[in-house]
Amino acid sequence: MAADPALRLQGVGKRFGRTWALRSVDLEVQPGQLVALIGPNGAGKTTLLKAVGGLHRATTGTTEVLGFTLPEDEDMVRVHSTLLPPHGYLYEQLTGLENLRFARLMAGVRPSRRELDAALERVDLVEAGDERVGGYSSGMKKRLAIARLLLRPVELVLMDEPYASLDAGGIDLVDTIIGELRGSGATVLVASHRWERAIREADRLVVMERGRITWTGTPGEWMEKREGPADTRRGRSEARGADEGDTGTGG
Amino acid sequence: MEVWLRTWAILWKDILIEVRTKGTFNAMAFFAALILFIFSFAIGPDFDLLRRIAAGLLWVGITFTGLLALARTYHSEELAGGLEALLLYPGEPRAIFLGKLVGNLAVLLLVEVILYPVAAVLFHMDLTGKILPVAGIAFLGTLGFSVIGTFYAALTLHLRAREVMLPLLVLPLLVPVLLGAVSATAALVDPAAAGGVAGWVRLLIAFDVLYFVVCTWTFPVLLER
Repeated sequence: MAADPALRLQGVGKRFGRTWALRSVDLEVQPGQLVALIGPNGAGKTTLLKAVGGLHRATTGTTEVLGFTLPEDEDMVRVHSTLLPPHGYLYEQLTGLENLRFARLMAGVRPSRRELDAALERVDLVEAGDERVGGYSSGMKKRLAIARLLLRPVELVLMDEPYASLDAGGIDLVDTIIGELRGSGATVLVASHRWERAIREADRLVVMERGRITWTGTPGEWMEKREGPADTRRGRSEARGADEGDTGTGG
Repeated sequence: MEVWLRTWAILWKDILIEVRTKGTFNAMAFFAALILFIFSFAIGPDFDLLRRIAAGLLWVGITFTGLLALARTYHSEELAGGLEALLLYPGEPRAIFLGKLVGNLAVLLLVEVILYPVAAVLFHMDLTGKILPVAGIAFLGTLGFSVIGTFYAALTLHLRAREVMLPLLVLPLLVPVLLGAVSATAALVDPAAAGGVAGWVRLLIAFDVLYFVVCTWTFPVLLER
């Protein structure tokens, strides 16, 4: 018997004023899968992640996350899932350590200094832990947001543009962390513009445009669709060179 | 227990930010003192008149100053990316309201610690032997003000004209609280004022309890997006 899906969206729509950010989205994700969401700006990727994480309430349709129904079980979904937002949601007047402490207190846990240091060490930010976040570079802020994400072991991880602002070391770190999350059995949804390792190795690729899912398949199938069969693709990808960072969706 | 930990988290975070930026308190204290000075100069050296209307002038000063604080209630969240910064975590959403409420209450009470002595000097209010009851009324009035203000600050957070909308929505609801606070303070500091204090204090307590229950109960609705 197949396991219950980690995520089941049926006809999900989200409207802000007169604008529909999501239109009749159907999506089912199995537990432990890594699913990559790609699409241009305004495609609805962030709105979809927020709707799944219980930060936005869908206007239409039904959303089931880890067996819980939204919005009724919103708090249970937050208990079992976590979101890496694109802009961090960090307090710049607080230090990195204080931001992490705040996150733990908000989750109802009194954190130990060792626990917070370990999270900072994981993202290579120990030395900057006592500095105010306002003085961090955008890459360091992203690393701090990732450290916050790792503080709480959960079953569903939602990552919105995890590679944005990161240098090569940071990108490797995100790929490693995504690999570890998969290894621990967590379901991972990643929205990204960048064609990094975790996206290329995703179990499934979901392409979004104007609030709709326009294509789903494997990353290999997507590359084949975009660039033709493997034998003709090789020559073209060599010629493309520096364009490797793009997902090829226009964004 | 978890509610109090979350409430403490928000209060601790806001106090740290306020101590480091001094953005709200300094501006409020200066603004409040300025209002009282302007009233004092505008009315002139008529000590009897000043004493009669002192409680009203004082609470007008507290109200205008308080509106400054209310407008900045969720300022740190706006800078961090929005109220969603507080919704990333599981737990009782009313803790967000309680944390912000205690923060506003604390800042306003601190400003009042400066404001009352200034008002006593400028308006010739005699606070001798009445400090505790006056402080009690100040607390009850400020509590009602903070409850309504913290709630409406969240309600108007995403409105385009929120600087205008916040006072427009808050001030009518503050009428019973201000009426109680002004009348009770006047009855204490102006021997010529008619009426007792007890009735006004009961009114203040009744509205504080009513506003606290309604606002705390309905706050989660404001977080739905």
